[in-house]
Amino acid sequence: MAAPRTRRQKEIRRHLWIYGALTPYVIIAVFPIYWMVITAFKQEPDLYRMGVFPLWFHLPPTWKNFTYLFYNTSYGDWIINTMTIAAWVAVITLLTAVPAGYALARLRIPGSENLGIAIFMTYLVPAIILFLPLSRVVAMLGLQDNWWSLVVVYPTFTIPFCTWLLMGFFKTVPMEMEEAARVDGCGYPGALLRVVLPVSIPGILTAVIFAFTLSMQDFLYGLAFVAPGDQKPVTVGVPTELIRGDVFFWGSLMAAALLVGLPVAILYNFFLDRFIQGITGGAGK
Amino acid sequence: MTASSQSGGPDAAGARAAAVSIVSPARATGWFRSQSSRRLAFGYLLLAPAVVYVLLLVGAPFLFSLYLAVSDANVGEQVSNFVGLENFGAALESEVFYVALRNSIIFTVVAAIFKGLLGTSLAFLLLQPFWGKKLIRGLVVIPFTLPITISVLSWKWMYDSQFSVINWFLHRIGLIGPYGSADWPIWLGEPHLALAACIVVNVWRTFPFSAIVLLAGFTSVPSEVLDAARVDGTSFMQRFRYVVVPMIAPILLIGFLFDTVFTLSDLSIVYLLTQGGPANASKILPVLAYQIGIQAGALGRGAAISLFLFPLLLPLMILLLRNLKRRED
Repeated sequence: MAAPRTRRQKEIRRHLWIYGALTPYVIIAVFPIYWMVITAFKQEPDLYRMGVFPLWFHLPPTWKNFTYLFYNTSYGDWIINTMTIAAWVAVITLLTAVPAGYALARLRIPGSENLGIAIFMTYLVPAIILFLPLSRVVAMLGLQDNWWSLVVVYPTFTIPFCTWLLMGFFKTVPMEMEEAARVDGCGYPGALLRVVLPVSIPGILTAVIFAFTLSMQDFLYGLAFVAPGDQKPVTVGVPTELIRGDVFFWGSLMAAALLVGLPVAILYNFFLDRFIQGITGGAGK
Repeated sequence: MTASSQSGGPDAAGARAAAVSIVSPARATGWFRSQSSRRLAFGYLLLAPAVVYVLLLVGAPFLFSLYLAVSDANVGEQVSNFVGLENFGAALESEVFYVALRNSIIFTVVAAIFKGLLGTSLAFLLLQPFWGKKLIRGLVVIPFTLPITISVLSWKWMYDSQFSVINWFLHRIGLIGPYGSADWPIWLGEPHLALAACIVVNVWRTFPFSAIVLLAGFTSVPSEVLDAARVDGTSFMQRFRYVVVPMIAPILLIGFLFDTVFTLSDLSIVYLLTQGGPANASKILPVLAYQIGIQAGALGRGAAISLFLFPLLLPLMILLLRNLKRRED
């Protein structure tokens, strides 16, 4: 009887140690989000009071900061813009990256490994080097100050990343099924459409998620190409339009941040391992 | 096929097989050749959209930025003239450029050190088996998954000059005096604090990334390899030094290079927190390039400044390229 109890006690003690050591990390990681939540629900006078414990409510919580966003600012427009941009970017990314990833992984194109790496490397050409020439391109297309410019520009980073990701993914789809289909007279296009694509839905879904979350991480392109308030995507509109000069409405600012940030963070959370696999050479596996 | 035709009797099937085996050598190569050229044609067709998109909107703009940098291109004018290296010269002659270059390097190096320390220690904790690991991992990676502008806003509020919750806490534990006293820090308004405040946000945002990359590295080391080394009578330190480190080094390097490229070229943290102020104290190259290229409309000047990032980025990208290629082989 004594041995299992001490083992259990040992386990409990080990767990307490680990939890204790992890607590500071969790607090550091989560505190800014907690601060966002508490600020978003506080009444204005509750925010600006010195000398009281700021981490809790001293006046009843309110929805006012949220309703203010939708009635008095273009917040609703920005969310619609962001969703529409993301949808278009996802479509463009899928139409280009799925075929490219498949071709690089499965069709034994000479030099396909190098080509794959070359495409992935363009993901690393940073926006800060491309945004000035792209501003000319956007102007040439007549898209300046319009969110369509972002639909054109965001695929410059989603296509390389998703091609690389899908290349890794298509390598894991078993070859035999595809060959069987081809022997049955489907030909290459038929085998791709009827056999490979249906079993690749998870990989394709992942690519859609990344087209969406990577678009949400942009700031520079949105800032540089889209000036009118109602055309901005939400991640650019909130920090640029809701702050006017030196006047900060922290309540509604945090409400705005929370409402977009949290769903994206949760979604991304589920796909984070795929992201890490992708950049650390998922294609090699 | 040939075997069956040789052993087969004079029945119909055998005759058909023999006929096939007679014509097949010539037809097979033809069939194979047409099949492989068809495969290649289909492959290039599938590749074309992605390659064309990337060439048109990454490759061409990159070359175009080289041209912009040697021209007097301006936002307002359609025509631009070749001005040689004037834009680069102008950058090198301005004091703010050196400030921005220095700040960019400080920002990247200091942030990398702290990310490394925090990320490594966190990864070692997350390597242990314990109950509720998934939940805790999900919580600590939130900074990395939150859209960057959103989290910067939260920090801006935490750095508020009067209602900073950080200062409230520091005051409560007795490290600083009350609001208005000389040691009450105004994080974004004091030259010696502004850059540090921006670095903190970058570290906060990416230390989970370091930890997760490191974890991915550790879990990629097969336990059989470690067991084999243990059977060979190696010590823990030897196993770590000669088995674990070489196996995870490529993954770590990729993660590190990746993050460095993004840290060096990111403008959103500094732009949203301080705009590079006060008095250029936190100015970094990306912010300077934006302010000159877009806000002042001097495309050529701006392109020249952002291209100064390229020599900093290029060695990193070459390292990364070599690393990826080695992993492919």
